[in-house]
Amino acid sequence: MSVSGWFRFKGRSLFSWAFTFQRLTGVVLLIYLLAHLTYLSTLLDKTGLTYESMIAITVSRQFLVFDLLLVLCGVFHGVNGFRIILHEFGIAYENRKPLLAIFTIITVVVWLYASYIMYSLTGG
Amino acid sequence: MVKFRIRRYNGKKSYWQTFEVPAKRGMTVLEALYYIKENYDSSLAFRASCRMGICGSCAMKINDRPRLACETQVLTLGNTVKVEPLDNFKVIKDLITEFDEFFEKHKAVKPYLIRKNDNYAEPKELLQTPKELNEYYLFTLCIKCGACYSVCPAAATLDEYLGPAAMTAAYRFCADSRDEGQRERYQIASSPSGVWRCHLAMECSEVCPKNVEPAKAVQLLRRKTAFSILKSLLGW
Ligand code: HEM
Ligand code: SF4
Ligand code: FES
Repeated sequence: MSVSGWFRFKGRSLFSWAFTFQRLTGVVLLIYLLAHLTYLSTLLDKTGLTYESMIAITVSRQFLVFDLLLVLCGVFHGVNGFRIILHEFGIAYENRKPLLAIFTIITVVVWLYASYIMYSLTGG
Repeated sequence: MVKFRIRRYNGKKSYWQTFEVPAKRGMTVLEALYYIKENYDSSLAFRASCRMGICGSCAMKINDRPRLACETQVLTLGNTVKVEPLDNFKVIKDLITEFDEFFEKHKAVKPYLIRKNDNYAEPKELLQTPKELNEYYLFTLCIKCGACYSVCPAAATLDEYLGPAAMTAAYRFCADSRDEGQRERYQIASSPSGVWRCHLAMECSEVCPKNVEPAKAVQLLRRKTAFSILKSLLGW
């Protein structure tokens, strides 16, 4: 069978959603990391101007929404990843439902806080 | 009248067929299927045996969730009931799926007590405290219905994956104080189709009709397997 097996939600619980988002955000982070490293390691311009011009784009207000989405991916992946690791050690397995709720709230709170800071930094 | 939309398969093509069943209080989905078979279409194929949630034959997808047909009340499901064969299994006919491979995987984990020197001439009673029994009791309740396997994303993408039910059986015996076959089973569990394929989607525990918590069993087996590998690497 194929990877379509990762994307079946009909009749499934929230845990299946968490699983799929962990995969998707993991892939997003991986692509971002590869792009990031490729860009940095191919900079030949010693004056730093190429780098500066790229950074100028990424810290702009128009770019903020992409930044926020990337941070959401990162925060969700890290926080949800921690939840998965806990259960993989057999910890708090019986409390998995409240834990999923708590970790989702933590994700949203951390993300909103990070968004606020990033918004302020872009001059908001 | 309750409408039953049934996903059928005749070996060549798959199609939906609708039947109306006079449902009354106490009627199970399995009884409704028998009603259809006896009154409308005798070619409707499904598997069932005990009619009391103990043989594990009648697991099928009812309103998108795998459930035991014999343990599901029709009147709790609304006016339309959708019945389909389990996912992740090959369909043979209508609601009947191929279980040979599933049982092979179960067999592969040696789901029986292994003793180093059993003397059948002088049988000995093997004692166990209630605490020792509780270590694995929950996992003995599995009826091999395949519901867990049908929702597992790892089983959906890798046909060889042993799956939650087989690994629950493996853990059930590894955690039994009378068993001496742990090392053999840890080796099977640490194979490329074993515990490391689980990504903890935990859907198996959500659908298990016996509340066996297969996802927990896989994690506990994984922990034991990891320690066993460590020990053998260190030469203990
Ligand atoms: C706070 C740091 C991180 C934690 C706690 C974490 C945790 C996890 C966990 C628990 C999984 C699920 C594994 C499984 O399915 O069995 C996972 C999957 C994944 N992670 Fe991370 N991760 C982190 C950072 C990253 C980063 C920086 C990247 C990208 C470079 C990444 C890429 C991936 C990918 C591609 C997957 C999908 C593969 C899979 O599901 O097995 N992760 N992560
Ligand atoms: S663990 Fe539960 S869902 Fe899986 S086969 Fe056993 S009884 Fe069925
Ligand atoms: S017929 Fe035996 S479990 Fe349903």
